[in-house]
Amino acid sequence: MVVSLRDNDELQLNAYSDGELDPVLANEFERRLANEASLKARYARLLSLRQAVRSLPQLEIPANLQARIKSSLNAERSSNVTVLRQRSWSFQALAAAAVFGAVISSSVMMTIEQYGQREGVANQVVAGHIRSLLAPQPFDIASSDRHTVKPWFTARLPVSPQVPDLAAQGFALLGGRVDVVGQDPVATIIYKHAAHTLSLTTLRPGQSVSEQTIAGYNLRSWSDTDFTYIAVSDLPSTDLATFQRAFSAAAPAPEIK
Amino acid sequence: MSVLVVQNKDERAAFDEVFLPHLPEAYRLAQWLAGNASDAEDIVQEAALRAFRGIKNFGAVNARAWSLTIVRNTAFSWLTKNKPRTVVFLNDLSAVEQQELEYEGLHGARIETPEEIALFKADTEEVQKALAQLPVQFREVIVLREINQMNYRDIAEITNAPIGTVMSRLSRGRQLLIALLGDRR
Repeated sequence: MVVSLRDNDELQLNAYSDGELDPVLANEFERRLANEASLKARYARLLSLRQAVRSLPQLEIPANLQARIKSSLNAERSSNVTVLRQRSWSFQALAAAAVFGAVISSSVMMTIEQYGQREGVANQVVAGHIRSLLAPQPFDIASSDRHTVKPWFTARLPVSPQVPDLAAQGFALLGGRVDVVGQDPVATIIYKHAAHTLSLTTLRPGQSVSEQTIAGYNLRSWSDTDFTYIAVSDLPSTDLATFQRAFSAAAPAPEIK
Repeated sequence: MSVLVVQNKDERAAFDEVFLPHLPEAYRLAQWLAGNASDAEDIVQEAALRAFRGIKNFGAVNARAWSLTIVRNTAFSWLTKNKPRTVVFLNDLSAVEQQELEYEGLHGARIETPEEIALFKADTEEVQKALAQLPVQFREVIVLREINQMNYRDIAEITNAPIGTVMSRLSRGRQLLIALLGDRR
């Protein structure tokens, strides 16, 4: 599809009215809104349409619907006795496995504990990303120039990662910020992909977390000799994989370089 | 370990916790997709049963989106089965027709929304009719956005479409609504 300028305006207008434009674009768009009368008129029209749709009367849920659902589930349950029996058998097997598992060695327990800590790390990294999206801008230093962002990190942190601009690969460098994970200040690099913001948090190596979704954000994590990287974004995981490849190709660990 | 947790938990309790709180919203969505109250009741009841049977698949991430996804899918399969003539799905159309509908409006023509259509008085009946008239792909994103007030990400998950498609459908759907409401003046 060829997106004409008009179509693109229309998309931005919609995304802006839905509060889904990222802070940088929203800012640009607000400036245009203030200056362009026809855009402003279309925006007002969109808002009045929203008002009209939202004020449509909604049917109340029938009072007995919940009761009917509950009774149909009770019927469903009794017709499923055989299935439930099978399940309880497999539950016994699992319970037995759990008892067996209770005598696992302390080293495995350590691993589980570390795993728990790592998931804590994942939550903190996502929290940093969310906080940054709520802030007026997702970065402390705004620059698409790696030679500005890297020294900014170096001046503040004991170790700082490479800061490649991946605009050619579709991930434009937006800037950097310092997040706190556990008690450690760490470098986070911010990239933009289409209308999406991606935070790449860099930790000491050996802290990678599993690929997962937290609060609607996808995480992808990998390590090289210097850092563990955790990328957080609302992009689909396939895009995060693309990002990882682009980043790894552009920022090889110094030893390999 | 997570397997144990799910097995252990009473499925009925899980259902009560995950699906039931969203029943009023589920009903509202079903009503807009089906177009009337009695079909909506049938759809929600069937969706509840599906949710109960599938409660083990709930990933403990977003109960609301998970529940509404089931309602939306149930509504579509229910409508296909019981009211096949009332719904046209994009997937049933040829690639060219899909393209036309998604990007060029209802009848293959560009949607023109002249500037003079400025503001809408909240004429409830007209708006209701216009919304009911929208092709279901546009109607569902508008209902999810405006009535259920979901964000793009959740709408994408529920409608099983990329966020970009959600954005273009919302934009197109709203333009169609504006055009429909403008025609009635």
